[in-house]
Amino acid sequence: MDPAVEIHLPLPKDQALNLYRTMLLIRYCEEQLVKSYARGEIPGGMHTYIGEEAVAAGVCANLRHDDAVFSTHRGHGHALAKGMSPEKLIAEVLGKATGSSAGRGGSMHLFAPEAGFYGTSGIVGPSILLASGAGYAAKLAGNDRVGVAFFGDGGSNNGAFHEGINMATAWQLPVLFVCENNLYATEVAFSNASKITDIAGRAAGYGLPGVVVDGNDVLAVYLAANAAVQRARAGEGPTLLECKTYRTRAHSEGMRDVGYRTTQEVDSWKARDPIHLWKNHLLQQDEASEAELSALEVEVFKQAEDSAQFARQSPMPDPTTVYDHLYSQEVQHA
Amino acid sequence: MAYEVTLPRLGWDMEEGSLAVWIKKDGEFVKSGELLFTVEGDKAVQEIEALDTGYLRILPDGPQPGVKVPVGTLLGFLVPENERDSFVFPGGVSASTSMATADRVTNPVVDLRAAITSEGEGVLPVAEDAKPRRVYISPYAKRLAQGLGVDWQSLKGSGRAGRIMAADVEKAATAPLVAPKLAGIASSLTTSIPPQAIPESVTRQPMSQTRKKIAEHMATSAHTVAPVTLTAEIDATELVGLRKQLKADAALGGLPLPSYNDMLAKIVAQALLEHPHMNAQIVGDEILYSNTAHIAVAVDTERGLLVPVLRDVQAKSLRQVAREAAALIEKTRQGTIAYADLQGATFTITNLGMFEIEAFTPIINLPQCAILGVGQIIAKQVVTDAELEMVEIRQRMVLSLTFDHRLVDGAQAARFLQRIKRLAERPYVWLVGS
Amino acid sequence: MPEMTFTDAARAGLAEEMARDPLIFVVGEGIGPRGGNFNTTVGLHELYGDMRLRDTPISERGFTGLCTGAAVLGARPVVDFMFLDFELDALGEIINQTSRLRWMSNGQVNVPIVIRGGVGVASTGPHHSANLFSVFMHIPGLYVVTPVFPADAKGLLKTAIRSNDPVIFLEHKKLLKLKGPVPDGEYLVPFGKAAVVRSGTDVTVVAISFPVIEALSAARMLEADGISAEIIDPRTLVPLDIDTILESIAKTHRLLIVDEDYGPCGAAAEIAAQVMERAFYELDAPVRRLNGAFIPAPYSPPLEAAVVPNAARIAQAVRSLIQE
Repeated sequence: MDPAVEIHLPLPKDQALNLYRTMLLIRYCEEQLVKSYARGEIPGGMHTYIGEEAVAAGVCANLRHDDAVFSTHRGHGHALAKGMSPEKLIAEVLGKATGSSAGRGGSMHLFAPEAGFYGTSGIVGPSILLASGAGYAAKLAGNDRVGVAFFGDGGSNNGAFHEGINMATAWQLPVLFVCENNLYATEVAFSNASKITDIAGRAAGYGLPGVVVDGNDVLAVYLAANAAVQRARAGEGPTLLECKTYRTRAHSEGMRDVGYRTTQEVDSWKARDPIHLWKNHLLQQDEASEAELSALEVEVFKQAEDSAQFARQSPMPDPTTVYDHLYSQEVQHA
Repeated sequence: MAYEVTLPRLGWDMEEGSLAVWIKKDGEFVKSGELLFTVEGDKAVQEIEALDTGYLRILPDGPQPGVKVPVGTLLGFLVPENERDSFVFPGGVSASTSMATADRVTNPVVDLRAAITSEGEGVLPVAEDAKPRRVYISPYAKRLAQGLGVDWQSLKGSGRAGRIMAADVEKAATAPLVAPKLAGIASSLTTSIPPQAIPESVTRQPMSQTRKKIAEHMATSAHTVAPVTLTAEIDATELVGLRKQLKADAALGGLPLPSYNDMLAKIVAQALLEHPHMNAQIVGDEILYSNTAHIAVAVDTERGLLVPVLRDVQAKSLRQVAREAAALIEKTRQGTIAYADLQGATFTITNLGMFEIEAFTPIINLPQCAILGVGQIIAKQVVTDAELEMVEIRQRMVLSLTFDHRLVDGAQAARFLQRIKRLAERPYVWLVGS
Repeated sequence: MPEMTFTDAARAGLAEEMARDPLIFVVGEGIGPRGGNFNTTVGLHELYGDMRLRDTPISERGFTGLCTGAAVLGARPVVDFMFLDFELDALGEIINQTSRLRWMSNGQVNVPIVIRGGVGVASTGPHHSANLFSVFMHIPGLYVVTPVFPADAKGLLKTAIRSNDPVIFLEHKKLLKLKGPVPDGEYLVPFGKAAVVRSGTDVTVVAISFPVIEALSAARMLEADGISAEIIDPRTLVPLDIDTILESIAKTHRLLIVDEDYGPCGAAAEIAAQVMERAFYELDAPVRRLNGAFIPAPYSPPLEAAVVPNAARIAQAVRSLIQE
């Protein structure tokens, strides 16, 4: 969807509902995966996005299919928001042949290039560099595509943050750097890893705008991202967008979620569930009816459920294919 | 046991000489074959190799350089590793000879080689322990050896640490026959012969591996078997006629032309099955009778005599035998004969007719018990009917059968040879088979 | 056929490719207006400007990751690390991202990137002399190219740029001024094709990168001793043309591998293992390796000379091998 140059509030209804739909899809798919994990259907690790849905939904609502998103280990939300098929996503996490990488990658190596999604990642930091590269390619080719990097507070302390943001700014590349500050890198509080509180404040050191936003307010995220994307497309360079948010489940499924944070803290953020916040907003502002929203909930829940079912019924991959695609062995024709 | 180092005899009539210079130092580790000291003999200074391996301990009160002493005088010892710390010079050892005898040492180099190639001697000095030396051979050389039919286990390699290389195998080429393990026999054959005066006009050449193998094999046969040779002159006119017909036929069809050896192989195969004791071998206390005839045919090649084997000759047509024989001979001459093709014969035929030899006494090819020698086919005047005083010119051929009298009696062998004679004189009879 | 240096030949190839495809761009420290520390891009910045000849900050990991992302999105970057030693900061990106994205995505994504680095001991000391071929050979998904002669510098670079897979392109600093004939125009050398640069019958010598030149000198010395050495330049280590090497061994039955890189787990060890597996029964002697000394490259000239496999050492190794 092409964003308008100037946003008029309230958002058009379809856009508002799409934001809701996207967040619901993420939530319901993650819940399906949590159940799968508990049932032992998932071979590896999994990091759920539950509680952070507003960031992915708000940012990706401003992007086209040919914009390139690079994500992290906690990337199911980004993938779905960017347009990846929930069936392929869940099947991949279950390690099935019908998954996006036919079971080669799992949760942390999801790819959907047709939707402009160039991967979740098991390494923290590279998304910043890769997205900068995507921006470079767009500028070289002379189109107005943007690259988007998602990373966490932990990632902001990685060398890639420094090198990538510096280069992208120096060369005025069309990139959006989205830092999801959920206060913890695994179980290490950001306050232990850095002296500062606002990561966006680092932007000044590189010369690009840094914006802090309430990451559980999907509209706020949407508006901030919109401005950044427009800047980028106009050739004005990158933006660092810090979304303050929170994951309400453990760092990764199966891990204990105690000791490093208090139940009060978790509960206080659960009370600010982004989906509830948006639903309440729509209802209170009379932008949608209870019935419409319920219908959407039922529809999306079924979509998530069907996708999970599809994934469970899919076959496992064929081991004889392991050597496929190591090299393309293709040579460009002159 | 420390090994004695003594003043060697150089030249058959040398009686005394002097130590010129020690090449290795007292306490130095010496490997057998390395140069140890030089000796001034009657005529010249010569470098002497160590015969053993060990730490050199020079006799403290031994002969000084330049001082003439008798041949055999003790100069020092080579002490093995395990005695290094405990070694002491034997008390009261004088500078005079210790057990020098006439046949002790002539040319150390020659003796050294004999010590290595003989089996069961056990005197070969080994560096640290008394384990039998393992023979190392490169993979390629081993493959080559198998292809050429060389028994590489007894080769001496010229590679590092005595490893056998392809070049060593190629030089050795192939042994004439498969021989059973000749343990102990070879050593008994290397009885020392008193040194003779070597005439001036002579060229030396070290024995090739092939020649050594042949020498061993022949000597074994000669010493083991009780050989008797029977000769019978047969009328080969019909054989000659048969061959002429086959020749004419072969020219038409391009089919292989059976040789006289091929025909004799067929004849002998039939006779062998009729006289099983001729198709037997002694193994320990038992006699093994073979129920099939594998006939080896001697082939003269550049490298020497080789004897590829035709198998199950009784079961094959003459044409088949001819075809196979031709292929084997070709491979033998090319040097590509496989090891397996040289093994397992129960009888041998050897033909010297092409050299105008009439009769001879072939040596039995152990472990077989008989061998048939074939002579030249000559046209002779023969009395075909004494009463009628009829004389004809007939083609005659002498067959020489050597048999092992340990296993076969004279009459048995004679009957066997007579049967061959009959079959050969009327070749159509063996065509009928049995 | 024109004669030119290795550097000029490579640059000619690069220039031809850049003229052909506007999405090819070069990235590195000093490769812009200065034309590169080793003259790899002289004259190109004037033609194509900043976007295609991009001087970088000292962010090796950063610009390697950036170029990987650009390659994923359809551009064709050539990353010009002056010295392989600097490239080592980017190893994490090269291994985890560059080499792997295609496979992880099950073929949905390509990374057509060329990563060039100067290698070898050349009066350059411990931080500027790395070879490390086997480090890259050991990563699935990469091609590893080691041209020796100027014609190959051009032909292999062109192939590398056109390849849709990531290529590690390693150029020995002692080869840069080497002169040789270079074909004009569209000259492409395929990967996986070794060159028998000298025919011989007594021993096979496989040499990697600059040691090929030393091996040729050694071969001339050995000729005087009646030893005929066959010298093979593999040109690409991945894919490795093992068949040409095996063919040679079937003829000579002896193999010496010369590699300035370290012995342990090196390219020579890999080649030796493959030869052992596939041509054991052709070997008349153990496979021998001649490597650079297993220490960082020293600075002072006599120290440096003592640690590399030069012609004299190669000849000596061959003589020893013949006697094996």
